[in-house]
Amino acid sequence: MSATARDVKTPSVLADIGVARGAAIAALIVLAVALQSTLLARLTLLGVRPQLVLVVVVILAFLDGERVGLVTGFFGGLLIDLLLPGSIIGLTALVYTCIGYGVGLFRQFAPTESVLSPVFGVAMASALAEFGYAAMAIMLGQPWVSIGFTAKVAGLVVLYNTLMTPFAFPLVRRVADRFRPERVHTWS
Amino acid sequence: MYRRSGRGRVLLLVFIALSLVIITLDFRQNPGGPLKRARDLAATVVAPVQRGFSAVTRPVGDFFSSLGDLTDLRSKNERLEEDLAEAESDAAALPQIEEDLAVLQEYFELDKSWRQMDRVTAPVIGRAPSNYKWAVEIDRGRSSGIRPDMSVIAPQGLVGKVIRAGSNTATVLLLIDPDGAASATVEGEGNNGTIRGNGGSELLSLEFIRTDADVNVGDTVVTSGQDGGIFPRGINIGSVAEVGGEEADVSKDITVEPFVDFDGLTYVTVLLETGDRIAEDRAESR
Repeated sequence: MSATARDVKTPSVLADIGVARGAAIAALIVLAVALQSTLLARLTLLGVRPQLVLVVVVILAFLDGERVGLVTGFFGGLLIDLLLPGSIIGLTALVYTCIGYGVGLFRQFAPTESVLSPVFGVAMASALAEFGYAAMAIMLGQPWVSIGFTAKVAGLVVLYNTLMTPFAFPLVRRVADRFRPERVHTWS
Repeated sequence: MYRRSGRGRVLLLVFIALSLVIITLDFRQNPGGPLKRARDLAATVVAPVQRGFSAVTRPVGDFFSSLGDLTDLRSKNERLEEDLAEAESDAAALPQIEEDLAVLQEYFELDKSWRQMDRVTAPVIGRAPSNYKWAVEIDRGRSSGIRPDMSVIAPQGLVGKVIRAGSNTATVLLLIDPDGAASATVEGEGNNGTIRGNGGSELLSLEFIRTDADVNVGDTVVTSGQDGGIFPRGINIGSVAEVGGEEADVSKDITVEPFVDFDGLTYVTVLLETGDRIAEDRAESR
């Protein structure tokens, strides 16, 4: 029996995540949103709140790649949008989808053993997410969002999110690993 | 690796397209559309977790914020005892004053004062999880009589208005949000303007007050009741912090420091006789 790379069936997104793991990640996202809107919303840095959901999305993308990253980014962002009154639904979902994909794609260039890789990833992703959201918000008719305000928010979110990553990373990895489905590669 | 990246790109395009469809639907939907129901569903899913976190973290937050107040607790206590004694003597005369007020209101066809309105007090269980929106989630909803557009106050003054009412939770848009605005006036000055939030800043802007108006730093700003029933007249908002603008301008640039500490809100009160109900009552009486 011989096999080539073409014969290896790559797993689908659903197989990448798995049902039990999907439920666990969904619960993790809900938990992150709840924490972000309660305890973390009171522990602000100069009035700026950390974005724990983004941290979770980036860590999952870093651990499992672009497809898991973009799917969790979409649903995490959508949940935030739905909880924000009067905001444009789909905007955070769009930004987090691109962030999840980007982090998952570029993780191959990061040293896997370095603890600084996810921290650096979160810092870059936080800055991109804040500026991306602000740019989209201005384009979609929210003129009060200024460059100065966005720069202040982005700087403090980068700092806050980066400080949270060493604590969030082991917890998210534990959940991601615990429900990881067996990967079965069939050879025809 | 090549095939995986290709599939990832397709999936990315699918989810980007899905996001754009949702954004378009949000722009085009009418009140009560599918996304409104999705908002209610999301709030219903997250609210129990928020409620749990709030119950656990509130004492911790309160403890740390009260540490700073320890030094002046004694003087505060003495002042409160004096205030209580004064309030008790005033309370004895209150029934007669209320009766007189009701007679005068009926005689002159005045609006009901917000102090006499039915109200419900609710704990704050969550805040908007974003740095671009200023709103709180409260643990009371339609089942307690809360409806969109009702006024929300705290003991210090105006907080904002209800913009979503689910069965057991509601969302309150804070006055500091850029979309939050109320008709307002400087107490003792006849001019009506609009008080507006600035988002990132805790300070509010009072717009459309004429340049010839007599406004000074320290003056109190209150609601003027010109919002079609949303905010009743006479609710405290804040004090004037800065008065600017050239004489050639049509209106002054007035900055207002709100009385309410929006970051420290733990309980708020919803005035149940405001919003649509009062607007409907007015329309019927015309």
